[in-house]
Amino acid sequence: VKANFVFTSESVTEGHPDKLCDQISDAIVDHFLAADPWSRIVAECAVANGVIFIAARFVSTASVDIPQVAREVIRQVGYSGEDFNANDCTILTNFTELAESERVAVDERELSSADHDRRTAKNHATVFGFACNQTRTMMPMPIWLAHQLAMRLSQVRKDEILSYLLPDATIQVAIEYRNRAPYRVHSMNLVASHRPLEEQALAAMRTDLIQHVFTPIFEREEVHFDTNTKIFINPEGPFIGGGPAVHSGLTGRKTAADLYGQYCRPSGSALSGKDPARIDRTGTYIARYAARNIVAAGLAEQCEVQLSYTIGQAQPVSIQVESYGTGKVDDDELAKRIKQHLDFRPSAVIAQFNLRHQKEISGEGFYRKLAAYGQVGRADLDLPWERTDKADLLR
Amino acid sequence: LNPEIPEQSIALTDTVNITSPDMEAGPSSKRRAIPIHIKTLHTGVRGRARFHVNLVYRQVDFADDLVQQLTAIECVNRAQANPVTGSVLILFDPACSGQNVVALLKNAVRRTIRRATYTREALLKPRQVATAPGPDIREILGKLFEKSIPAARHKTRARRNAGPFAGVRWHTQSGATILDVIGTSPDSGLTAEEALRRLQRYGPNELPSLARRSDLEMLVEQFVSVPVGLLAASAVVSVATGGLMDAVVILSVVCINAGIGYVTEQQAERTIESLTKTAPRFARVVRNGGLREIPQADIVVGDLMKLNPGDFVPADARIIRAHRLTVDESALTGESLPVVKSSTFTGEDKTPLADRINMVHMGTMVTGGSGAAAVVATGEDTELGQIQTMVSATRPPETPMQQQLKHIGTQLAVVSSVICAGVFFLGLLRGQRFLQILKSSISLAVAAVPEGLPTVATTTLALGIRKMQHKNVSIRHLNAVETLGSVEVFCLDKTGTLTLNKMTVVALQVGDETVAISNDRFIIDGQVIDPGSRHEYRQLLQVISLCNEADFSNGAQTAKGSPTETALIELAQKGGVDVPALYQALPRLKIRYRAENRPYMYTCHRLSDSEQFVAVKGSPQQVLELCSYYYQDGELRPLDDAIRADIIAANDRMAGEALRVLGVACGEKALDCAEVHEGLTWLGMTGMIDPLRTGMADLIHTFHQAGIHTVMITGDQSATAYAIGKQLGLNRDKPLQILDSTRLDKLDPELLKGVIDNVHVFARVSPAHKLQIVQALQDSGKVVAMTGDGINDGPALKAADIGVAMGGASADVARSVSDVVLEDDNLHTMVTAVHQGRGIYNNIRKSIHYLISTNLSEIEIMLTGIGTGLGQPLNPMQLLWINLVTDIFPGLALSMEPPEPGLMNRPPRERDEKIVRRKDLLRMARESGIITAGSMAGYVYGWLRYGPGPQANTLAFNSVTLAQLFHAYACRSEHHSIYSEDKLPPNPWLTRAIGGSVALQLLAMFVPGIRNFLGATRIGLLDGAVIVAGASLPMLINEGIKQAGIRADQLMLDQDTGRDTQVFPDTTADNPREKRP
Repeated sequence: VKANFVFTSESVTEGHPDKLCDQISDAIVDHFLAADPWSRIVAECAVANGVIFIAARFVSTASVDIPQVAREVIRQVGYSGEDFNANDCTILTNFTELAESERVAVDERELSSADHDRRTAKNHATVFGFACNQTRTMMPMPIWLAHQLAMRLSQVRKDEILSYLLPDATIQVAIEYRNRAPYRVHSMNLVASHRPLEEQALAAMRTDLIQHVFTPIFEREEVHFDTNTKIFINPEGPFIGGGPAVHSGLTGRKTAADLYGQYCRPSGSALSGKDPARIDRTGTYIARYAARNIVAAGLAEQCEVQLSYTIGQAQPVSIQVESYGTGKVDDDELAKRIKQHLDFRPSAVIAQFNLRHQKEISGEGFYRKLAAYGQVGRADLDLPWERTDKADLLR
Repeated sequence: LNPEIPEQSIALTDTVNITSPDMEAGPSSKRRAIPIHIKTLHTGVRGRARFHVNLVYRQVDFADDLVQQLTAIECVNRAQANPVTGSVLILFDPACSGQNVVALLKNAVRRTIRRATYTREALLKPRQVATAPGPDIREILGKLFEKSIPAARHKTRARRNAGPFAGVRWHTQSGATILDVIGTSPDSGLTAEEALRRLQRYGPNELPSLARRSDLEMLVEQFVSVPVGLLAASAVVSVATGGLMDAVVILSVVCINAGIGYVTEQQAERTIESLTKTAPRFARVVRNGGLREIPQADIVVGDLMKLNPGDFVPADARIIRAHRLTVDESALTGESLPVVKSSTFTGEDKTPLADRINMVHMGTMVTGGSGAAAVVATGEDTELGQIQTMVSATRPPETPMQQQLKHIGTQLAVVSSVICAGVFFLGLLRGQRFLQILKSSISLAVAAVPEGLPTVATTTLALGIRKMQHKNVSIRHLNAVETLGSVEVFCLDKTGTLTLNKMTVVALQVGDETVAISNDRFIIDGQVIDPGSRHEYRQLLQVISLCNEADFSNGAQTAKGSPTETALIELAQKGGVDVPALYQALPRLKIRYRAENRPYMYTCHRLSDSEQFVAVKGSPQQVLELCSYYYQDGELRPLDDAIRADIIAANDRMAGEALRVLGVACGEKALDCAEVHEGLTWLGMTGMIDPLRTGMADLIHTFHQAGIHTVMITGDQSATAYAIGKQLGLNRDKPLQILDSTRLDKLDPELLKGVIDNVHVFARVSPAHKLQIVQALQDSGKVVAMTGDGINDGPALKAADIGVAMGGASADVARSVSDVVLEDDNLHTMVTAVHQGRGIYNNIRKSIHYLISTNLSEIEIMLTGIGTGLGQPLNPMQLLWINLVTDIFPGLALSMEPPEPGLMNRPPRERDEKIVRRKDLLRMARESGIITAGSMAGYVYGWLRYGPGPQANTLAFNSVTLAQLFHAYACRSEHHSIYSEDKLPPNPWLTRAIGGSVALQLLAMFVPGIRNFLGATRIGLLDGAVIVAGASLPMLINEGIKQAGIRADQLMLDQDTGRDTQVFPDTTADNPREKRP
């Protein structure tokens, strides 16, 4: 990585159709796990033309009214327009029941180490975890800022500070790096849907957004925008309405926004809509946990952890660490230490993060909350993989 | 001269797509393209042009409207349209370009068609508009061979006195004015005397009905036909050549043929006529100030009618009062959605019929609300009556199959005629005697023309309808029989069709106890309990009895009311509550029903002078919110959040079991307490279910076997719908697809059409949206059947290709717009209906196959004989004999074949499949060729042995007669041959027909008198052997070829087992995403 460069990342609000689909998929996972923690569920969702398609494959003792779950998400996200709203939208569901044998038969929390060894990965999967000291959540600066702005944008809409805003918005942030450290905001692009506005209000929108969205966020951040920073707001003209009535959405199409904004190698598959038995989801969490603890331990300024799982093995066949030359110790040594102190086996991950019983710990909608504004590096949620409790062991 | 307008006649052809209303309650609302043909007739004078417009021809109203459209155009000075000739004269500003005038005219025609005022069916009937310019040879020939129908077929009734106020534009007048004009009172209506006077003066409120053909007429028609004409010519030729006896024989053939035709047609006519008969309907009118029910025919102008949901509007009337009155006017305007009516609206002169919302019209149907209307026109003066009078189409329309058969018949007649002429000239060239060959040609024409095709279809359909009536299937339209056989999608209304529409409480949740109700017993964990012994149970049962809308008046022991309410009463009675006594002890003070913002119902009952008892039931969540206390082990305790969460979880669990859950609560309040529904006591929940009828899953499986896709339509939530869909196996082995939508009307129709193929269940659908489902399915190219029983189902039932009403429970409306009524209220009968429908269609096919292939063989034999110079293999008498003996009885017997086995294991036929397919024609040609070869072999053998003459003729004659009779067996099935291992069910009719015919043939050969007539000779033993061989070998060969074809098909099917008879391709199977572990 060069010392000086510009990097851009994108985040979207919870009303963006892709994110809406992610949230519906994860809300379905939440409902299944809440009623039966040992459910298997894969839920995929697409929305086009104001119609929602949900394909769900599951085995569970729970009976979930899936369209009802979807409508609840739509209602909470805030769609209430004539074209698309929770009550009137059409939902096409496609249900496949998996074999009873697919249902999880044991409580991972009560397994012995030998049992964990026997519960192997069911897929080949390579996942990446990343952490760096650019922000307090150890996230890369561009995606962190993009998430903060997107959250703030939803906040001012819901609090009716800017009541003309509608749920659908995209924000892109470009950060200029000097000596591998975020130096200044290069430019920002905000595409926010809104109600039809008068000429005057439309002209005032830019000032409104800078005053109520950008300024409050940058006040608490270390980088700032200056007079040279280009801020684009709806560069292609007013974005009236927005949402699923205008453009379509699909589960798993915003994986960059779910993770590190492309700052490290991407993990590939989608996270939303999968129950914890899917190693591509849980592996991503434990990889982040490992990377974050390395950085928290001060062993590297930034590092990327790569885990490769194969069918038939519980331990990853490969654990690699890349510290981009910032490591206090050798990368192989880092890999050795995390291998020694962290348990990467699939069922052990479920057990240590308590992924099946988060309803009791975190309340309603654990996975649904993950589905917007990032699955990692959340300051607003207490996520088990964001803890730095292994840092001391690694040191 | 008008140089701009091309002088030579140019034909401008265009089409307009419109949605047509169909007057016959058959499949309606089909989009049709209407062809417009404009031909320039005369443009010699500047500023003046005459055109021929096909649509103007015989369309008075269209002509008027077109003139109005034309004169509205700036550069048009004057326009005339002549409905007699179809010509349109336009006088236009010479400055206006000539080419433009054609364009203007075209646009005017298009506008006229589109105008909503113009809803005349005549325009929309393709056969009426297809008057292509120039005579069509096929049409002329078709008319020649078609049985000529006497012009007096429709008895012209003595025109009754024109209505009293003909020509008044009712919709432009205020209600008060109209009451004044027609002389009636808005409160007391007409007096009985005045009504009687008007009835006598202006006649009954009836539409001209189809006058039945008299028996004599029908008999005479048997003789007025082309074949009979040919026979008469043949008889004349015979007399001229001295063959008096020949003439006598010919005449007897004519009489026998006519007799058979008469008997079968008479029966068919009677059956068809019985379909159009409807039970007399009644209307409610105000007379002498009182409401009375009178036959619809007795309604007169000035009557004040009351309108309620489900009523058919019996006459045209101006609305005087309307309360949310909605009317389905699709019969008249083609508008498929119900129209909201208003009494205050006043229209303008040109307000289109569809927008005259202050009027109701005869033939439409009230779908909601109520109202009163003053009759302004009856009988023929109504809008509907005028349309019917204009098109005089009171005759049931021909079914698509009849039309097809007529077409095929015409084509074959043309071909046969040409060949007969060819035979005649060939014979002359070969030096045969003129009169001899003339007689032979005429006889050949008589024998070969397949005059009976449409009759066979009608007769078979009519017979089928009667047979189905015995099996509790009432068919209400002739063409429903053939459509039944092609049904591809069956939409099933859950409530009342798949279920009994009878709720039963099967579970209770009281405190933390879950109670199962089974066989009138209350069971907790396998222990039977007595609910009467525990306070909270008693309380719950009392509350569900008190907070109940069921009618328990007149000391009845069973309650009347909605299924939910009666189910609760029944449960209370099972639990030992004396409901009538309870009602007496706690008289009801107040009842508040469920409403939009209140998903529960409550009642207040007098407890004492100062206290009242409040009973609440409704949506569990909301009822729980009203509560502050609950019972635990018989003790009253305050509700906390944990207990509330437990109750909600129990509710979710019950809902997940496809139960309809109601929360129950009660409270005691002061009599003057305003907020009675606060701080109540939670008693528990009831879970009820509308159980599926028995055997429904098997039934669904049967439909799937038959290649019919099943779709369930329900108002339930998805979770319930999923449980039931799974139970029924609607999805077969594919993922169950549920479309969950309360607002199908808002969905893009194109989108719905795209996804609908794979949907198994429509959840949360209101009955009014069933129409959208039916139309989307039809748009995706499917033949749709649909069940329904309510008033709301009317439009959907009508739109469906086959509307199925359930006999007992159906509303009158559902019955009257349906095509099929299952009288025993049993969905299993639908399988019978489809089975019979397919069987009947196939039988018609078999008869046709037999008739055409045997007629072909006769032609081929004559053609070969004469063409090769071997003389005439058959003489005229023999040809007539074959026509009599081999054609009629086996043909009729084939139409009575029992349905083939495996008929319900095959997919339905394609919607557009022709009754005679190309491959059928090829098979006919092949089979007739082989029969010809066999018979000609016999003839050649005789020719070589005896030389040309009677002996050789006899051999050919007997070979072909027997070969044709044997061929009837080959026509029994295209999937079975005589070599097949599994045999077809016996058809005794066919056995008798063939046996009788063979006996007749033997009789003719052995009784010298008849033999001589037929110009035959004695048959020796060797000749007999040749005849048997010449007759049976063709059948054995034909059946062998068929068997080989069947085997090849089976092999292909075996190799390709993945592609079985699925009509709906499994798209998900190809989706790699689904293949992930």
